[in-house]
Amino acid sequence: MKKLIAGALLMGASTLAFAQPGCGVGAMIWKGQSGIAPHVLAATTNGTFGNQTFGMTTGTLGCQTNQSVQSMAMYMDSNIDKVARDMSRGSGENLDTLAVLLGVDEADRDSFRKVLQDNFATIFPSSDTTSGEAVDAIVALLEQNDTLSKYVAA
Amino acid sequence: MRTSLRFALALIWLASCLNAFASSLPDTGNLHLNPAWLTLLHYQPDRFGDGYTGQADDDAFYLSDNGKTSPKAELEATLTAITQPGGGNEHARCRFPARDRWLRTQLDLPGHPVNCPAFEEWTDELNTETVTLVFAASYLNSPSSMFGHTFLRLDPPREDEETNLILANTISYAADAAAHDSEILFAYKGIFGGYPGITSIQPYYEKIRLYSDIEHRDLWEYTLNLTQAEVDMMLAHTWEIRDRNFDYYFFDENCAYRLLALIDVARPGTDLLGEVGTHAIPSDTVRWAVDKGLVDSVYYRPSAATNVSHRIDALSDDHQTLAAAIANGYVDADAPEVQALSDEPRARVLDATYDYVRYQSEAEGWPREHAAPLSHDLLRERSEIRGVAIQDGPPEPAIRDDQGHDTFRASVSGGRMGDRNFSELTLRPAYHDVLDPPAGYRGGAQLQFLRLDARLYTDNDEVQVEQLTGVEIRSLSPRNQFFSPLSWQVGFGGRRTDTETNRVFTPYLEGGAGGSWRLTTGTQAFAMATADLEIDNDLRSGYDAAPGADLGILHQNNQFSLLGGVKTKAWIVSNQHRQDQAYLEGNWHLGRDFSLFGKFSREDHYDRYRSTWQLGLHAYF
Repeated sequence: MKKLIAGALLMGASTLAFAQPGCGVGAMIWKGQSGIAPHVLAATTNGTFGNQTFGMTTGTLGCQTNQSVQSMAMYMDSNIDKVARDMSRGSGENLDTLAVLLGVDEADRDSFRKVLQDNFATIFPSSDTTSGEAVDAIVALLEQNDTLSKYVAA
Repeated sequence: MRTSLRFALALIWLASCLNAFASSLPDTGNLHLNPAWLTLLHYQPDRFGDGYTGQADDDAFYLSDNGKTSPKAELEATLTAITQPGGGNEHARCRFPARDRWLRTQLDLPGHPVNCPAFEEWTDELNTETVTLVFAASYLNSPSSMFGHTFLRLDPPREDEETNLILANTISYAADAAAHDSEILFAYKGIFGGYPGITSIQPYYEKIRLYSDIEHRDLWEYTLNLTQAEVDMMLAHTWEIRDRNFDYYFFDENCAYRLLALIDVARPGTDLLGEVGTHAIPSDTVRWAVDKGLVDSVYYRPSAATNVSHRIDALSDDHQTLAAAIANGYVDADAPEVQALSDEPRARVLDATYDYVRYQSEAEGWPREHAAPLSHDLLRERSEIRGVAIQDGPPEPAIRDDQGHDTFRASVSGGRMGDRNFSELTLRPAYHDVLDPPAGYRGGAQLQFLRLDARLYTDNDEVQVEQLTGVEIRSLSPRNQFFSPLSWQVGFGGRRTDTETNRVFTPYLEGGAGGSWRLTTGTQAFAMATADLEIDNDLRSGYDAAPGADLGILHQNNQFSLLGGVKTKAWIVSNQHRQDQAYLEGNWHLGRDFSLFGKFSREDHYDRYRSTWQLGLHAYF
């Protein structure tokens, strides 16, 4: 039970950090949740590849960054293991969701999927990679790509 | 004198003022009894008397002091409040946009546009075009999920197929249980009231994580055919009840109930709440929505557990063994025997193994030290294989949960116990046993509530209660090299027990645990260690207890179900003796509304043999 509450607090902290205006999708809706939500959220904060709670991305990405990147970071925080899975397979709804959050056009989706699959080992160099580090690596990769760099421009 | 004159003048002024004010509002007649108004305010007719009581347990939900019990007073107070000039978030029109909208369609009110920044920002953020009723299927190995669960998803305009729906928001209503409450307190307060019910909004992907990944429940998405105006009305009403407290009761005023109210508000006249009797089982509520023609299309989203079983089953036997070896760490993800496979089978093995490792980490708590590096190796190897798309997921079950048999069952039968003939009537308000038609239910799962078996013995016209089952849960889940679930059962109630000279009605508590193994499709063999406790002053020590065993075979298919086996119990307290029984029970399913059933048992108890048989008909409605 202690673990649950710690999880809830952590999630609460990250929700607050995201609650500033203009910090990505759903920022307002997530604000000030009470009641059952923390119980549910607590159960959803398990990190990637294991049962350890993930480092939240708020540390590495402030509000001044591109809003879509911010949204992607939020999504990665709670779905990192599924995003990593889809990335390694080069397809899947979680990868498509990243594309939607970054606003990647239908025409660029194939190269988006390919870049992420080809560079899986760069994005997730080890099993201890945090979602924040993965987001940073994705942004760096996309910036170097001629067609995709526009989606992460600040 | 002077004072009283002044007082009288003041009164006259006040009265004329009120008069003037009242005359500016239209006559409301019987509008306060309009079903749409009663639904908007969550009024229910009083059980005694002809009044109404609102179900909101929150003063802020009513504008009139008498609002909880007087639809008329509340209507008048609302009319007064929404015709006040001004605007802003605290104005009644902004706090209660659905009431405001409905009253303006019914009455000719002086209208001027009102500015509600918070409400408008909220609806813009939710950006809803259609509403989907999502049903999280029950998963009997987890008692908290037994009834299933429903919530609403607010779908944005669809630009491209599925992708952005997992970012959509959801509305759910749930008990706000205090974290420190024990299970027993939780059950007590859940049944008798005491937990506030809270309406909350969350992104769908959080729900998927909870239900699909953590609780292993398949999700069924029923897209409703509400128009944009109806959707807007639903959102406006959600805004009204968003932070308001409605006490939560597991059986009737539960998660499903409050959502039905939202649908009733969106489309007046639907009256889904009118279908609710003593309890609102979420799968039943989905059934009502389907029956009332509210559903446009249905989408099946298998859980992580369903997915992983499907991917493992799709592998050949050799590849299954290889996947199990990788998952358990006997073979590395990049070992030569894996590398030797061609791209497609290698991708299938790696995909199935990864999904399995994730599932085990979530469900069985595999340690991170083992699961994390392994997961990473599997994905790294998989990312080297290009151009092999992910395999199709599990097919949608032919029969949905809402298409299974109805949950109330009544049965009539005739039988013979020893040398006495009897006829029996059985009533079971909910839900399913392993011999009922299995379509739409989990295989090997059983949950019965408040089942009453009453017998009429024809030799002396004696009526006896044979058994009153409080709760009975049984979960038979087959084990294999990948999954090793525990099969278990628990039940309590009252039943006839043999005291050698008499059959007396005694309270009982029983439980059991063991394993089950699949023999062929639809057939499993199980072995359970059981324990029974009976308490009655007809027993020599006032109670008796029996460890025992139950070995049997269960077969389920859409035409018939069969259960047979042997049971033994060793009563050890009051009167040490054995009770051995062989049993065979079968149901022949006639569509989803009826089953013919037969039971036979032969028992050795107190050194005498007795056979009981019974034949009858179950009707489901």
